[in-house]
Amino acid sequence: MSSIEPFNRLVKLAARAFYDDLPTKGENQTKTGRSDNRGLAVVILDALTRRQWVREEDLAKDLKLHTKQLRRTLRFFEEEKLITRDHRKETAKGAKIYNAAVAATADGQQNGRDGDDKLKLHTHSYCCLDYSQIYDVVRYRLHRMKKKLKDELDSKNTVQEYICPGCNKRYTALDALRLISPYDEYFHCESCNGVLVAESDKLAAQELGDGDDNARRRRQEKLKDMLTKMEEQLKPLMDQLGRVKDLPVPEFGNLQAWELRANAAGRANGDYNANDPSKNSQGLGFGGTPMPYLGETKVEVAFSDEKGDIKSVNPSAPTKVLPPWMIREGMNLTKEQRGEAKSEETKSDLKTALELSDDKKSTVNDDTKNIQDEYVKAYYAALLLRQREKEETSKKEEESPNKEVSTERQVGEKSKRDDFEGDDVEWEDAAPPTGSTSDPIDLNKEAAASDSSDEEDIWEDG
Amino acid sequence: MFFHIVLERNMQLHPRHFGRDLRDKLVSKLMKDVEGTCSGRHGFIVAITGIESVGKGLIRDGTGFVTFPVKYQCVVFRPFKGEIVEAVVTMVNKMGFFAEAGPVQIFVSNHLIPDDMEFQSGDVPNYTTSDGSVKIQKESEVRLKIIGTRVDATEIFCIGTIKDDFLGVISDPGANP
Repeated sequence: MSSIEPFNRLVKLAARAFYDDLPTKGENQTKTGRSDNRGLAVVILDALTRRQWVREEDLAKDLKLHTKQLRRTLRFFEEEKLITRDHRKETAKGAKIYNAAVAATADGQQNGRDGDDKLKLHTHSYCCLDYSQIYDVVRYRLHRMKKKLKDELDSKNTVQEYICPGCNKRYTALDALRLISPYDEYFHCESCNGVLVAESDKLAAQELGDGDDNARRRRQEKLKDMLTKMEEQLKPLMDQLGRVKDLPVPEFGNLQAWELRANAAGRANGDYNANDPSKNSQGLGFGGTPMPYLGETKVEVAFSDEKGDIKSVNPSAPTKVLPPWMIREGMNLTKEQRGEAKSEETKSDLKTALELSDDKKSTVNDDTKNIQDEYVKAYYAALLLRQREKEETSKKEEESPNKEVSTERQVGEKSKRDDFEGDDVEWEDAAPPTGSTSDPIDLNKEAAASDSSDEEDIWEDG
Repeated sequence: MFFHIVLERNMQLHPRHFGRDLRDKLVSKLMKDVEGTCSGRHGFIVAITGIESVGKGLIRDGTGFVTFPVKYQCVVFRPFKGEIVEAVVTMVNKMGFFAEAGPVQIFVSNHLIPDDMEFQSGDVPNYTTSDGSVKIQKESEVRLKIIGTRVDATEIFCIGTIKDDFLGVISDPGANP
């Protein structure tokens, strides 16, 4: 939406240029002097530039206007093709969708209308600036203004009009054939037979004179004056039009589409997690890609379920997809109880094997464990030497103090990916199946709590 | 603008024409009836150029008249906005002048006459430039641009302008009588 700013400027300029004196007489006549509404239109348009789709009641509230008054002006704008409106019947729930959308838009106005939960259907009206149309409308308007003045100026392509001073009946040059009289050289009114006078000019119509040269010249000057004045006063507007010309027009789409999109965007920003518990289990790791999709299609529930499945399946797969939080979880568990169990499992085992081992761990003997320890250590060192560069080795050294306790797990790990160093991280990967299957959500929380991010990165790099 | 089109018309023929030259009679009557008329839809029918077909005649009860549906080719003239035509001035007055381009009447109001031409009343009312070199009066031929048309069912009326490049008098009756 970065390109919206020039368009907003265009709207503001147009509002000041063309709608400054609104609302017009119709209203002012009825209640003269009671309130001066001039400029109201500008205020409303300005307010709309700061919003996207907005419910008209909310807008009225924000602007401290009477709804009727606002509606009248909006209707006028709709006729002027500046805004699009949408009316729909909705329950309180429908309103909530809208509110959520509003909350999601970056510059949306928070208006707490959540309160009234009537189940009755109300017709709500929404309005929104239609930028592409505004651009066209303004351009067309300017074109017409210029054309009219220019035509008038060189009297080109204008149909002369005649007016009867007696009965104010109007004729055009197309009626000329009926108006000529056989007796003199003037046109005569059909009804009162008065002599018609040419309505010398529509724009500068002070002198309804007989169109003598003086009058004509004066008129020409006036028109020229008007034209130049218009050119210079509307220059900013035209400049803005030129600036906006090549920019992509911001489109909000219709109301429904906009709501969906706004909600989706809100989710992507992270607001969504707070609202939807089902999403929480996903954690940050999955945040990026699936969210927008979810937002648009509204299939969140199904999707999240699917995720859950994937999670459970993951451990058996040798790929690196293992979610980080699971690693965390596994590590904690193993420290407490399962070190022995893991030791049994050798490098050859995949994660599936590890899962099995989890079940068995309690039955494992200490003796075997010791033997395994020795073997594992030797094997591990050999692997390390062979494959690791110095950085890796250094890491390993750091970890080595812990190794007495945890070596077994590392071994299990290694079977999966020989490439990786014997970081704690690796064996953590293996661990998840053991503990995590029971309750993934908890795992997630733990992951969030602990600062696992660094290790994850390393692991992924490898 | 001229068009060559096919039109259809139901012709009523008196029984006295029934005979060897029925067809000729039919055509000559068609020409008499149709040529020079104006329809808002097609414009002025200038001339009939041929007969496409003559349908089966239908004898009217009571009168003996026979109705033939006749399809005929004809040339029509229809003025359009923006078209340039040449016309003969028929009347000049203070409000402007009238001209005819064939069957079409065109009015040019005085504000569509170039500013340097002034109306001169008198025996022969005319519009003349200040140096007198150009004069528009009755019988002058002018080239003008049609800027508006009024099309009724049976009548077409135009207004024109000579206030543009290459428009105005093309032959002056006063200059070479």
